Amino acid sequence: MSLAKWSVGLLAGMSMLALAVPADAGEVRVTVAEYSAKTGPYFEAVKKEFEAANPGITIKYEVVPWDVLLQKLTTDITAGTNADLSIIGTRWLIDFVQQDVAEPLDSYIKPEFKDRFIDTFLSPSIMGGHTYGLPIAASARAMYYNKELFEKAGIAKPPATWTELQEDARKIKAVGAFGFGLQGKEIETDVYYYYAMWSQGTEILNKDGTSGLGTPGALEAAKLYKSMIDEGLTEPGVTSNNREDVQNLFKQGKVGMMITAPFLSNQIKEEAPNLKYGVAAIPAGPTGARGTYGVTDSIIMFKNSKNKDEAWKLLDFLFTKEQRAKFTQGEGFLPVNKEEAKMDYYVNNADLAAFTALLPDARFAPVIPGWEEIAQITSDAMQKIYLGSAEPEAALKEAADKANGVLKK
Amino acid sequence: MPPCARGAPHPVGARHTFFLQKCVAVSEDAGRQVRGGADIGEEFKGRVLGTNATATDVYLQHGTSQPMQSRLLPYLLTLPSLLLAAVVIFWPVWDLVQISTHDVSRFGQLRDFSGLTNFSALFADPDFMAALWRTGLWTVLVVGGALLLSIPVAMILNMDFYGRGLARVIIMLPWAVSLTMTAVVWRWALNGESGMLNSALMKLGLISQNIQWLASAETAFPMQVLIGILVTVPFTTTIFLGGLSSIPDDLYEAAALEGATLFQQFREITFPLLKPFINIAIVLNTIYVFNSFPIIWVMTQGGPANSTDILVTHLYKLAFRIGKLGEASAVSLVMFAILLVFTMIYVRLAMREQRA
Repeated sequence: MSLAKWSVGLLAGMSMLALAVPADAGEVRVTVAEYSAKTGPYFEAVKKEFEAANPGITIKYEVVPWDVLLQKLTTDITAGTNADLSIIGTRWLIDFVQQDVAEPLDSYIKPEFKDRFIDTFLSPSIMGGHTYGLPIAASARAMYYNKELFEKAGIAKPPATWTELQEDARKIKAVGAFGFGLQGKEIETDVYYYYAMWSQGTEILNKDGTSGLGTPGALEAAKLYKSMIDEGLTEPGVTSNNREDVQNLFKQGKVGMMITAPFLSNQIKEEAPNLKYGVAAIPAGPTGARGTYGVTDSIIMFKNSKNKDEAWKLLDFLFTKEQRAKFTQGEGFLPVNKEEAKMDYYVNNADLAAFTALLPDARFAPVIPGWEEIAQITSDAMQKIYLGSAEPEAALKEAADKANGVLKK
Repeated sequence: MPPCARGAPHPVGARHTFFLQKCVAVSEDAGRQVRGGADIGEEFKGRVLGTNATATDVYLQHGTSQPMQSRLLPYLLTLPSLLLAAVVIFWPVWDLVQISTHDVSRFGQLRDFSGLTNFSALFADPDFMAALWRTGLWTVLVVGGALLLSIPVAMILNMDFYGRGLARVIIMLPWAVSLTMTAVVWRWALNGESGMLNSALMKLGLISQNIQWLASAETAFPMQVLIGILVTVPFTTTIFLGGLSSIPDDLYEAAALEGATLFQQFREITFPLLKPFINIAIVLNTIYVFNSFPIIWVMTQGGPANSTDILVTHLYKLAFRIGKLGEASAVSLVMFAILLVFTMIYVRLAMREQRA
């Protein structure tokens, strides 16, 4: 072998060594979930501003679509190559805490810092008295309705109860549109069912810790949706429509009512600016009970991070009022920062006011291990009921048994 | 080896070793013209129009007294790739065995040894059993459909006609598009309210009401199979085109002179000579299709209510939705075993047919 070949080999070997060297001191790696096309640019702007203000610290992002985030984190953590910080769904947090990969942030959090947050949104990230994550995004659900269709159908105001909603849906059907948009596919199919279930006074978990799916309230809710499907009050092919599909139907003016998150307002503003719509509370049940789904995503620090102080500096920066306002308004989330919530943007926004008014009724995903599996079991049961391939009673009983099996573990 | 292999129209390693063995056997006996030669003669006599074995064996007869080579050499030559395979195949499989026989955290930390608990949990799960059967159905339908479609397509593309180059490009194009993108486009096209397929059928007057293609397995799964066939055709056609171009034209000329119809030509010449290529297409496609994830995942995620799940999508949900890495590893070992057994049996059968 000639000398040249040897040196090529040597170089290759050295470059492999270089790859193996741990991240530079002062480098903070962050796994970022991509909420929309605005997420990437926002974090790039953060990088510029933060690095200018903190010489010696560099930020490196891995921007991942939501769908593959949990998969990426699972493989990264298994291989020990995870970043220093990551955005995660708060409902996953318990797994991270139990597996001892999330760093408690209590030693970093000063009273002044804690005071920035609205308690409702910070509390889901607190477990066993320790704060493991900070709410990077917060959202809730409310009912959108199409004002033009309401007018055409002669409906004066959005329905306050599910019975009224059914009647309104019939009227909307009569003018040739779909009354109620029902989501029956992919992420949050279970949640769409909980709206009806919560209004029956049934919770996801009973007081004794068993699954609520076996209760009469759960059955009533399932029967309500099924009867609406059978009567043609929903869009056809419920099990082929995920959240985005139903939202698209709403934007096209084909659906009278649907329940979804604040970001639909932003989408309508850009994609269907002429659509006349309103946002109202989720309908209540016979006893006046109602519930909306509250969601937060947390940004967490990993226990094996080598640059915890630098990472904390970035967190501190991200949760200033200015940074929060930029992010939240771009993505269409709810403010988690008290000062931010007082800004004109939020105070004068009727859509957002409807969401914040529902917050006292907000339920967060229960903090239990195996929650994802229970959500999957519930979604599967709902799809069977919507399709008519199982009777509501039988499907719910089977699902409750399965969920209780998971809960016992 | 070179004189023996000359003209053998078979591109695949497995078959090469087979020819090598035959070749060595023939060389050994070449001087005395004992068994090997006699066999070939008889076979040649028996089938005038040329079947799978004869064309090759004619070449074999030309391979005269080649000095016998070291029996060790082939093994030495395959050693580097064997080592590479060991690293990229056996190591992960070993890892999977570890995970599947342990109680494992959702981030892959092994806890207690649990024996075959993960496997028995799988076989007790009706969703897994349903996915297992559906995977069989999916594989048979897609591979079979692609095969049936690809033979005529390849034969047409092998003919000489104006614009053949363009036609070949068009047939191959789906191959150039990523499977995921194809699936995404089809998901849009099959949308119940704003999908292209429904509006096309509506305009043609074939339907009066929108069909909700992806709402239930009865319509979703057949569509997924059709799309599976569509994306498998280019690869299969390529294999067959290679096979067809290796069939000498004079065979057809001779057959035509003898008065053979086109169908007879296909049955007696094209099909038998194409058989090795069909076998390869079956083995490779089965492996690809059995493991194919994007089409089903993008269109239905195995839903509604797991009714279009195949093993890979079931595995993905188990591992990354629910976090049961142990059971997911067990699924992938089961898949590995099924494919291994299938390939071994199939290659054996195909080989025996060749030898017979």
